[in-house]
Amino acid sequence: MKRIFALCACLIAGMAQAEEFSFDSSAFEKKPFEFGGYLELKADRAWLNPSGSFYKLNGLDRGTLDRNTATLKLNAKFTQGIASLNLRGAAEARRDDLARERNERFDEAYVSLKPDPSFTLDIGKIALKWGKGYAWNPVGFVERPKDPNDVELAREGFTMVTADFIRNFDGDLKTVAFTPVLIPVGSGHNSDFGQPNHINAAAKLYLFYKDTDIDFTWLGSGSRTARFGVDFSRNLTSNFEIHGEWARIRDFEQRSIDAAGNVSATTRDVTSALVGLRYLTENDTTWIAEFFRNGTGYTESQLADFLSLADSTNPALFSKARQISPSYARANAGRDYLYLRASQKEPFDIVYFTPSLTLIANLADKSWSLTPELLYTGITNLDLRLRASWLHGDAYSEFGEKQNKRRLELLARFYF
Amino acid sequence: MKKVFAWLLCLCALPALALDGLEILKKVDRNLEPESSESLRKLINVEPNGQKKEFVLYTVRKGRDQVVGLFLAPESDKGRATLRQGDNMWLYIPEVGKPMRITSMQSVTGGVFNNADILRIDYTAEYNVEALAEDRDQHLLTLKAKTGEVAYDKLKMWVDRKALLPVTIECYAASGMLIKTLHFKDVKDFGGGIRRPATIETDSPLYKGYKSVMIYGQIKKREFQDEVFTLNYLPRVGDLRK
Repeated sequence: MKRIFALCACLIAGMAQAEEFSFDSSAFEKKPFEFGGYLELKADRAWLNPSGSFYKLNGLDRGTLDRNTATLKLNAKFTQGIASLNLRGAAEARRDDLARERNERFDEAYVSLKPDPSFTLDIGKIALKWGKGYAWNPVGFVERPKDPNDVELAREGFTMVTADFIRNFDGDLKTVAFTPVLIPVGSGHNSDFGQPNHINAAAKLYLFYKDTDIDFTWLGSGSRTARFGVDFSRNLTSNFEIHGEWARIRDFEQRSIDAAGNVSATTRDVTSALVGLRYLTENDTTWIAEFFRNGTGYTESQLADFLSLADSTNPALFSKARQISPSYARANAGRDYLYLRASQKEPFDIVYFTPSLTLIANLADKSWSLTPELLYTGITNLDLRLRASWLHGDAYSEFGEKQNKRRLELLARFYF
Repeated sequence: MKKVFAWLLCLCALPALALDGLEILKKVDRNLEPESSESLRKLINVEPNGQKKEFVLYTVRKGRDQVVGLFLAPESDKGRATLRQGDNMWLYIPEVGKPMRITSMQSVTGGVFNNADILRIDYTAEYNVEALAEDRDQHLLTLKAKTGEVAYDKLKMWVDRKALLPVTIECYAASGMLIKTLHFKDVKDFGGGIRRPATIETDSPLYKGYKSVMIYGQIKKREFQDEVFTLNYLPRVGDLRK
């Protein structure tokens, strides 16, 4: 009996050993229809800043604000011959102490024709991403702005027609790729791109030259004013990368308000630029640093004028500040910024665990936000993230006048 | 006299018949992967407590130093694509929507395999043969990195003398420290004249108790255009699958 038991144990152990590292590749045959996505649940608490200008502009009257958000992202792709239909949809339900909100949208929905690897034609709603910057992309002329606080957040695209021509060569210049884009803007589509009734032309020329990625980008005059730019990225050593972007915007109109409440608009050519680096240390710490000169931003005194008006007890001045506030409320509305992020891979031998710390500072008024984060991806198809943020700054500084003082957020994302 | 002459002839012919280190390495490269091929692999990271995390990767390669990889599983990584052109590596994450540069010593999967292991290019593209010795029924090649950009400064590669396939590879840092050991197992006939180890196991003194395993499920010869190995094509790599 003992022998039979031992034999069974050996057989079971043997089977377990044999199964341990098996791979049935037939389970991964390509199917014409592919489907996936994730469900994300997020709970966050914000400790509000009653002395902040944006607290007053938003009409708040409480110390904290709790919010729960559920997001469902669905991706689908149907392929038939050289054509494919690509869908990326998002549905979000948000509830906080003040309101409930729901919205559904397609971030992307387009048809793609690929007769050959060197040519692709895409028609529909597409989220193009241009530029090499991690936190900001001044050359991203045909996309919605990135949130530097959550750079990996999916963004909604614009309806467009775009193509991709790729050509490879031997020698120092290895690749040339040309991406022309047409974006129609009317009252019913792409209305937030700019002035209606224009078909906007844009293009990107990519070169892979001497191990350096180089892009030349251009957007013609139409719904937005004309602009052009260049970016680059290259590795100086295997663990040290540098990148940069430069953009020139023609006839940029900036609306501002002075300390007396006078609203004015100035039109001028502006330049934005970004330089950055990514460095991996021997201890697996990744450093990302970027300096951003925002040519479309407000100077320290312009920001302070607006923020002091929003703090005003004079109802007329306060009302004027509220009217113009969308221009000042966009993320990083100032001129000069520093972005610094350090992330440590798997410290204390905890695999799939990545803590990080991110600083975003307005260099003119010396205000900043600091965001520590803990990310754990050790459970298959589940990401867990705990993130806090502290905002600090003097009176009438950018981060000193935000609606929140601190924030704590817990996020769970289930992939399927 | 005739005998002496015959012996002399044989002695002269021997160096020509015997493979030198570079020739062995070239044959190892071609025996492991054809010049242009596609493959399906599973990568398994095993933690000391036995917990496993698995990834499935579709890989396309051409020439000595062009590789593209696409993650098919798990769902959390599905659609991520990596490109290697010589010393340059990029990672494309669908949510982020554009490729970013990564380094050879990082790991897109975590675990003991780093990006240089996962997106391996020909050994002859990265290493010079420093020495060739014989160790029982195996050749022992000592390889030195051609540049400082290569993930490992030195390799000791034991090669099966008959099959000309690697059996064990020890990877060393410039300081002389052993970073990891790769064990090649389960030689399998994949068809089309490709016969190679189906399993590569690795362990590392830097990750005590951890183990990573790479299993080849399919590998076959296939020709690809150079344009496949570009940043612009990276989001569309999945369309290469048939």
